[in-house]
Amino acid sequence: MNIDHTELMWLDEHHELSLNELIELSGLSQAELQQLVESGALIPNNPAAVNLTPETWCFNSHCLVSIRTLSRLKHDFELESNALALTLLFLERIRTLEFQLRALDQTKESDQD
Amino acid sequence: MKFKDYYKILGVARTATNDEIKKAYRKLAHQYHPDISKDPAGEERFKEIGEAYATLKDTEKRAAYDELGRHPSGQEFKPPPDWANQYGNQGFSFEDIDLSDLFAGFSSGKRHTQHQGRDIPIPGQDYELATQISLEEAYHGVTVDLSFTVPEYNHQGQLKHVPHTFKARIPKGVSNGQKMLLRGKGGKGFHGGRDGNLYLNISFIPHRLFSIKDYDLFIDLPLTPWEAALGATVKVPTLQGAVNLKVPAGTSSGQKLRISKRGMPKHNQEHGDLFAIAQIVVPIHLSDRERVLLKELTDISTFNPRAHFE
Repeated sequence: MNIDHTELMWLDEHHELSLNELIELSGLSQAELQQLVESGALIPNNPAAVNLTPETWCFNSHCLVSIRTLSRLKHDFELESNALALTLLFLERIRTLEFQLRALDQTKESDQD
Repeated sequence: MKFKDYYKILGVARTATNDEIKKAYRKLAHQYHPDISKDPAGEERFKEIGEAYATLKDTEKRAAYDELGRHPSGQEFKPPPDWANQYGNQGFSFEDIDLSDLFAGFSSGKRHTQHQGRDIPIPGQDYELATQISLEEAYHGVTVDLSFTVPEYNHQGQLKHVPHTFKARIPKGVSNGQKMLLRGKGGKGFHGGRDGNLYLNISFIPHRLFSIKDYDLFIDLPLTPWEAALGATVKVPTLQGAVNLKVPAGTSSGQKLRISKRGMPKHNQEHGDLFAIAQIVVPIHLSDRERVLLKELTDISTFNPRAHFE
């Protein structure tokens, strides 16, 4: 038994991942992630870096949640690379809508109180 | 080892073509894939479907599976004795290993799970766990016990599922629905491959008194009609202990009274706010004296809360 303090990372908008970390954690290849950035489905935190080398890109750690889902879908449904960008856009749209729905539900609950 | 009928799981005949197997898998995957389906039982079902497909889509694995013969699902059975020899270990036993583990490392016609690909690093598996914590624990930070089973090879080269338990510290400032990554806490990597990661989904147990939105907390504040009308100082619980709240005269139900910085901690050392929502509560039983006073109030008051109806 050991207590972990150091290895814990928050997946949210306050923490960043490099491209290499994203490759390691998501299971997608550099070429696939690069294609996602080039198509605009995945936006680095430093948009100016899009035109620089991929090594300079960094991403909100929160994107790992959708990227991992994408990676699972790619594996389990044998998705082709050009379907990945579209799938990621839909995943992000679902995430945003679910977030808005939760916020609406909470407002409704506190109105009823 | 318990037998699983992979053909039955995919709903195809034993004579099905690769194309039929693929079609059946896709149809079921659309239905049960945990990233698509809202069915809570979907994940377990998909695991089975994925396991069946992984074996049947591969010609070699399918041939080996067919070699095992037909048994009713769930029945204990033993693979042919020569299979154990092909695992390259005399002490190898099929007693308590899983059928999926048997086929997992099986490729190129070799059944040498532990020898095959000796030099190829294989990363450990990633796991996702959910944990529920109380608002108080989220407020102060908490150490949680996490346990799950991971596949590991024992000294005989057999794949076993072993329990994996450790403690992880969730720092304060965590929000409801927050995801965290614990690097290297998933399954063990093989042949120098990195250890897998653990993803932790944190949610809050609903609180008896407080509800939460982002970093703000809300509490219902019951008031008597006279406290609401005349104003009062009342004790309100917060996660840092009770505070005295001055309720202004003329407070109506539903009005929010803000208690600054008594909400949940944020990343940047700041706090959300606590909102007390006034709820005017009337006693069910009135004393004679209370009834007289209220009757008197009714007679002399000109207040009409329904003026806007007219």
